[in-house]
Amino acid sequence: MSNVARKLVPTLLAGAMLTLAACSSGGGSTDPAEPGSTPDKPESITYWSMWKEGEPQQVVLANAVKSWEEETGIDVDVQWQGRAVNQKLTPALNTNKVPDIVDGAYNALAPILATTGQAASMQGAYDTEVDGKKVSELIPEKYLTEDSKLNLEDGSPWLMPYSISSEAIWFNAAEHPEWASAPPQTWDDFMKVLDEVKAGGEEAPIALDGDIGGYNASWFGSQIIGEGGPGSMEELITSEDGAAWDAPEVMEIAKRLETLAKGGYFIDGYNASKFPAQQQAWASNKAAFLFNGSWIPAETGTYVADGFEFGSFPLPTNTEEQYARAEFTGYIVPVKSKNQEWAMNFAASVLSKANQDAWGTEAKQIPVRQDAETSPELDSVIENLKNADGVYPALDGTFFPGYTEKVLFPNVTDLILGKISAEEFVAKMKQANIDYWKTQ
Amino acid sequence: MSTAATPTLSDASAADSTRGRGGGRRKSKSAPTGIIDRQRRKLLIPLVGPAFIFYTVLFIIPSIWAIWISLHDWAGLGPMKFVGLRNYTLIAQDPLFQQSFLNTLKLLFIVGVVIFVVAFALSLVLRDMWGKSAVRSIIFFPHLVNALVYGALAGFIFNPNGLVNKILLVFGVEAPPLWLKSDNIFPIIMATLVLTMTGYYTTILMAGVDRIPPSLFEDCALAGANAWQRLRYVILPLTWDIFGTCAVLWTITSVKIFEVVWLFGGGAAGGAPPLETWTVAVFTYVTAFGGKTIPAYGQATAAAIISLLLVLVLVVLLRRLMRREALEF
Repeated sequence: MSNVARKLVPTLLAGAMLTLAACSSGGGSTDPAEPGSTPDKPESITYWSMWKEGEPQQVVLANAVKSWEEETGIDVDVQWQGRAVNQKLTPALNTNKVPDIVDGAYNALAPILATTGQAASMQGAYDTEVDGKKVSELIPEKYLTEDSKLNLEDGSPWLMPYSISSEAIWFNAAEHPEWASAPPQTWDDFMKVLDEVKAGGEEAPIALDGDIGGYNASWFGSQIIGEGGPGSMEELITSEDGAAWDAPEVMEIAKRLETLAKGGYFIDGYNASKFPAQQQAWASNKAAFLFNGSWIPAETGTYVADGFEFGSFPLPTNTEEQYARAEFTGYIVPVKSKNQEWAMNFAASVLSKANQDAWGTEAKQIPVRQDAETSPELDSVIENLKNADGVYPALDGTFFPGYTEKVLFPNVTDLILGKISAEEFVAKMKQANIDYWKTQ
Repeated sequence: MSTAATPTLSDASAADSTRGRGGGRRKSKSAPTGIIDRQRRKLLIPLVGPAFIFYTVLFIIPSIWAIWISLHDWAGLGPMKFVGLRNYTLIAQDPLFQQSFLNTLKLLFIVGVVIFVVAFALSLVLRDMWGKSAVRSIIFFPHLVNALVYGALAGFIFNPNGLVNKILLVFGVEAPPLWLKSDNIFPIIMATLVLTMTGYYTTILMAGVDRIPPSLFEDCALAGANAWQRLRYVILPLTWDIFGTCAVLWTITSVKIFEVVWLFGGGAAGGAPPLETWTVAVFTYVTAFGGKTIPAYGQATAAAIISLLLVLVLVVLLRRLMRREALEF
């Protein structure tokens, strides 16, 4: 080593060590948050939101923020982060500078918070009174069962929902009032309707953006849960020896999808297009049905054909019971937040009747409160949620590392795009399950 | 972590190449003496120090941290469980990782060979053609366009009722190929990369070709050399060091290719592209930031470290392979 290097290296290393030490002393200090011990009113709380400035949802929540600020005299420092909030949350939670409250979709928040112990119990929000009632009484009981997977290990909830997403088979009720008045009740009825549409030859029976794994997986997962009840998809996913995949019900549902794929029921080109091409084709009446989320009226509203009326019915199943997909959007409070109580107080305030009415009518989303006013396009979806025997999050709210992206989505996609048969699909999933669980 | 680890690929190998060059220089110089050299040595620490500290904090420490994470099961938050080399053995046996690795190699070698063959062919033509500077700008232009644009346009161009099929219909093709079928996306991505990267490397190579004294080309003309002979005996030997640098740059770039794949096959609704198109970088991203399941930072960083090693090995090999006496002219 030269003289220079001999001098340089230790100096620089020392510098680097100092910097490192500075970083780690910042990140390693003890957790200052002691819930309950600091009831003093803070000057402000920090709120990270999944909505972006200008979205109708953001406008409604901005009003909710304003009225809470006026009521409490606490400033809310809102950052309208957009959907990337989840990606920013993980690094933030590794520091001590965390937001006091965050909102996001259940299926985006659960993977990062479900197992990591970073979400505080939201019991405080559920116990807060709004419009003279406790929040826990304002949220319908069926949303708070174990199937909804909202509970921490101690049984208290980690998320306080204010909005629900569901799914339905969507169609143009102006063109087809008959499906609005008498929707098909069973899968067999549904197939008859599909055959009629196909024979008519004017429009394709079903539009599907086959490049979106989640849409493809819903065709499978929602039928499995729709017929077997909440928890039946989880049973398949967690079947370590793959035996659950041998059940005849699984094969039957796989066969239904094979029939749809190979029988030409999906719109031409669904297997070689980019989202939202097929959704747009449906909106311009080139296909009769679109199986998709309750966000469809809001998402396609700007480009639907003239005179289009949103109609929908639940995915028909061959069983008596009716289960509905219900995924929440709601608030979480990080364990490290120093203003947990006030953050929860704010969360609860969003469930006031006035805020929930605005959520239903202005943001055109499904409010959690059943007494809130809503937008007529969503009537049938809301009716289905009200009448459902039980609700479930997509894929039963399972988030095993990589399973969805690397095992389930690719294989269901192959089935629904007609690349493999039902038998191949079941065999592949069984083997993939065995392989997957060996590595976990 | 992959985002932290990925930039280090280029830097680690850049560091490697600087070391090589520095070594060469040291040997060629006699031991420094005199007052200027002493002054220079005094200035070394204040001048190099800040950069070195930034480099250490931003690249070296994150890389070491990435290696540390790769030895654990970690969801990005909460407790880390030490698992030794298990993440490495798991992904090495994972058929999906193997396929992603193979795709990365395809981009590196197949696309790389096509790019340089075309770039050298262009360098023959572009030296003295009419309107050469305009043509150079046009060839370079696709490189300026953000990959996002290609991803977003892919739908408009290749959807079943997109631009390509509409044009084909004019020519009477009524059953065009399913361009965006999952099996076809990767070849389209490779073609896009050729389109966007060729201009870039042609520009760099041309800078070298322009340096070659015109008299040598006149000699070629007098001797009746054809294009291939011009390339073989003049251009190649005299631009060899530039070509070597370009090859190293492409190696580093290709192993990190992510956004084109992500945007062509997925992206629009937040979904991952079809497995057939995954590269190691996509594998790393989905494993850590897929968003649909609990993140597996250990496996993701293990994949990132493997691609870092791949780059290091290939760059060292390339530099050995390309080592020639620099020609003075």
